Amino acid sequence: MQGLFGVSAQFRARVEIQREALYRLAYSWCHDAALADDLVQETMLRALGRGGQLRDQAKLKGWLCAILANCLKDHYRGAQPLEPLDEQMPSPAESPESASASGQLAARVRAEIERLPLGQRLVVTLVDLEGFSYAEVGEILEVPIGTVMSRLCRAREALRPRLMDFAAAQNNKIRSIR
Amino acid sequence: MSHDQEVSREMQNAFVDGQLDAADWTALVQRMGQDEALRCQVCKLRTLKDMVKGAYADARPRRTALPANRRGWALVAGLALVFALAGWLVHDATERTGAVELHGIAARGLVVHLASSRGEVVDTALQEVEDYLHEARAAGRKVHVEIVANQTGLDILRAGKSRYAKRLEELRAKYPNLTYIACHQTADRLRENGVQVKLLPGVRYATTALDEIVRRMQQGWVYIRA
Repeated sequence: MQGLFGVSAQFRARVEIQREALYRLAYSWCHDAALADDLVQETMLRALGRGGQLRDQAKLKGWLCAILANCLKDHYRGAQPLEPLDEQMPSPAESPESASASGQLAARVRAEIERLPLGQRLVVTLVDLEGFSYAEVGEILEVPIGTVMSRLCRAREALRPRLMDFAAAQNNKIRSIR
Repeated sequence: MSHDQEVSREMQNAFVDGQLDAADWTALVQRMGQDEALRCQVCKLRTLKDMVKGAYADARPRRTALPANRRGWALVAGLALVFALAGWLVHDATERTGAVELHGIAARGLVVHLASSRGEVVDTALQEVEDYLHEARAAGRKVHVEIVANQTGLDILRAGKSRYAKRLEELRAKYPNLTYIACHQTADRLRENGVQVKLLPGVRYATTALDEIVRRMQQGWVYIRA
């Protein structure tokens, strides 16, 4: 894909196709639209510069996600001392309470995802949003598959009571209105 | 998986994520047929998975394409010819070593991308830029160097924030062919978060760092990532 004059148009087009998926992931990781845009731009720039390093074209999406995860780590590293991923807890942009008041399930889910430690957030979104296998997530984040499974398990353990209760309450509200 | 064993959370997750092999999958399905509580747990996990997926279904990027799309990346690189290719090679080396090495690059312009405010990155980049400009002047070569900063790298161009204000000013006074460009998108993001952004004197804005980098590459400049 690295032609005489640089990266090929085909490779660039294949990278571009992944923009939306990359943005969705980036947004689910940082919950900041402008930062997500920045991270995706940076990812694509790095990908176009490193196209020659990708040996297996079938792994393009996973490769791009790995670059995206590194961009995110670089961002946090530049912004503040990097704590272990499992410990990193950003301050939520939207509190669960306000999301609950707005009655929007999606907003509540996002708020709860945002409350997860970064390491768990990365794993649960890679699996649930993009359907990566545990082995692929391990490759993307450069962690053992056992770590992927335990982070995923802890993430869902944290999400389940908060979101299932919320969903049940919403359901009851709808029934009472009817 | 025997009937006496409790089905672990990891196993339940692996089931809803399609990560079990055929034997474990079959055993778990049989088990669920006799265990209502397990069935309920798995059902909740499935629902949770759907909720997470649905919550981001409408997340769409603001930008729709790389700026180079207007004319095609191949064309951009084509215009940059050998210089652009050299730029990518330097870029690759930079990624590996974490340091820029500008010595000996022959181009009419260098665009140096600073996406980090880490001291080691900025110190190295500024030192390499100064050495490069000094070398070019001594050799009588007309070159221009542009430092483009975004993400946390923007901090070095911010008044009241930059630790490098004096050094940057001295460099620019010594080399009029050195310019500083700030990413407007990064500044906007900071402002959205309540941060006041004021740039050092003489620093110009570009719409985005990437726009500026691509624009310069189209002009045949070499791209370096610090």
